[in-house]
Amino acid sequence: MGTYILRRLILNFFVLWLVATMVFLSIRVLPGNYASQQFAGANLGGVSSEAIAQAEKALGLDKPVPEQYVNFMGDLLTLDLGESFRTRNSTWSELGKALPYSMELGLFIVLVGFSVAIPVGVVSAVKQDQLPDYILRGLAISALAAPVFWTASIAVIFVLEWDLIQINVTGQPHAWEDPWGAIQWYMIPGFVGGFASTATVMRLLRSELLEVLRQDYVRTARAKGLTERTVIMRHAMRNAFLPVLTVMGLTLATLISSQIVLEQMFNIPGVGRMLFRSISLRDYPLFQGLVIVTTFVIVTTNLAVDVLYGFLDPRVRLS
Amino acid sequence: MADIATPILGQEERRGFSIPGLNMFMTFARKKPLGGVAAVLVILLILTAVFAPFVARYDPDFIFKRENPNYERNPSFAQLAADPDIGSPITVDSFETPGWQHWFGTDKVGHDIYARVIHGSRLSLIVGLGASAIAVSAGLIIGVASGFYRGAFDIISQRLIDALQAFPGLVLLLLLVQVAEPSVRNTVLAMGVIGVPTVTRIIRSSTLVVQSTDYVEAARSIGATNTRILWRHIIPNIFSVVLIAFSIGIGAYIIFEATISFLGVGPRGVVSWGKMVQEGRGSLDLHPWLTVFAGLAIAIVVISFNFLGDAVRDVLDPRLRGT
Repeated sequence: MGTYILRRLILNFFVLWLVATMVFLSIRVLPGNYASQQFAGANLGGVSSEAIAQAEKALGLDKPVPEQYVNFMGDLLTLDLGESFRTRNSTWSELGKALPYSMELGLFIVLVGFSVAIPVGVVSAVKQDQLPDYILRGLAISALAAPVFWTASIAVIFVLEWDLIQINVTGQPHAWEDPWGAIQWYMIPGFVGGFASTATVMRLLRSELLEVLRQDYVRTARAKGLTERTVIMRHAMRNAFLPVLTVMGLTLATLISSQIVLEQMFNIPGVGRMLFRSISLRDYPLFQGLVIVTTFVIVTTNLAVDVLYGFLDPRVRLS
Repeated sequence: MADIATPILGQEERRGFSIPGLNMFMTFARKKPLGGVAAVLVILLILTAVFAPFVARYDPDFIFKRENPNYERNPSFAQLAADPDIGSPITVDSFETPGWQHWFGTDKVGHDIYARVIHGSRLSLIVGLGASAIAVSAGLIIGVASGFYRGAFDIISQRLIDALQAFPGLVLLLLLVQVAEPSVRNTVLAMGVIGVPTVTRIIRSSTLVVQSTDYVEAARSIGATNTRILWRHIIPNIFSVVLIAFSIGIGAYIIFEATISFLGVGPRGVVSWGKMVQEGRGSLDLHPWLTVFAGLAIAIVVISFNFLGDAVRDVLDPRLRGT
């Protein structure tokens, strides 16, 4: 167990280094940099190349790329992610501002998603190849197929036109400051994102349950005369639920950075929107920092889930 | 003699009229009705994309004009300030409601939306099939190589794949499409690249499974070369996995393209459903047809590909046979 975790940690470290290198190189491959991007809008006035060069020098972009890389790696080892070109704040503080918003939205999405997906998955497996199964699976696949930005646009109109809920939010409240305000604010993106995420979970739970329901111990449980309800809840679900739990952990980890569209549409200043903007602005330090931190979260969650899995399911031996 | 000959002749005659593959398709459709419906929709989509100019009724970039109902011969400055078009007798036929002349209405600049939805199918299809093909071919090569030969190549390629997979997909895509000019070709390439890790993983693990089977062991013990084992045993046996990965991926790539077009960094100069949704979003309450039809088109196409992919998997994946 100990060696397994140690080996995985070393591997994770290696993966993080690879990601850091990829991030560093890929953002620099994009045409233009922060300085030229800033003056691109003002091009009509005829910005001198000296002004751009000066701005580049101030940002340290005039140094050769290998030197920039060495500096970047050195800073990274001391957990210094540099400061955003645009705001001149440290990347850590920018992340500290954005992360709570993304986490709140992510939690909302996961809660909605799982509270829909779990009952639907169970019904769909129990009533396999009957009408409820077809209807529910059809709905789940439709939720997967309709693009999030489209359902979100239409949901907004429905809510506004039909006054389904009163959305009356001022500012950008956090859940701990103004719980009701935050719920109203996250209502539409949360439900839209949640429904979109149900399909994966529901299909996974369905196929796991179908497999488990064919096992001998389920037959034994039925033969003992247990009610169907007890068989499913006590015997089948416990075993089918483990993979679902894994997916739950991973979904939450990826949700932090993957809600670019919803955050952009609903003006939520989260990590996704910050990532999107940092790419178009060529804000190298901010982009690098955000991707490295989110990758770290994903990789660590992965490891934690695998280790937990070994504890929860004695059949799985970690080696 | 004649009694025996007639039925044989009859059979041959009937075979002459059958469409190749129809029997196979009917068996598939009977087993998986949803998959059969989806397959028909996908074929319709392909036909629509190929024959778009004939199906679309109008050129998607044609700007429709109409007589200006508010036309004033000599407008005053105040009138011009209120309506800049008041001085011209003909204006752009914008925001026409869906009707006989424009089935899905017109957009802000007077384009026929039906024509644009039809032509948009081309981009979706090219992107979906192209990106999936790239991802699957690259994934097949890397996955089989690292699963079959193992060793240093396996270790290094798997770590690279780990790194690529840990990278948020949409972020990677946003980066890649901006590296070069956002043309259709570059978009397809970028999307293919982001699909490689997943496909490689799947193919590598099925290669490992096939490799540990008895028949590969047997082939090895009678002295078959690596090349022979690879081509005669490994690849034919993982082919169903390849086909599943290919068909499951298409829908996701279509959504991806629509998403980046919606975010404004998609391919330029082509009709994109994602871009159409974005253009109509601002006035969705006034002119819903700008957004609704394009979004529906995405949803129907992706649903079809997903159902088809599911059915293909159910039929081909031996673990799911009979479920």
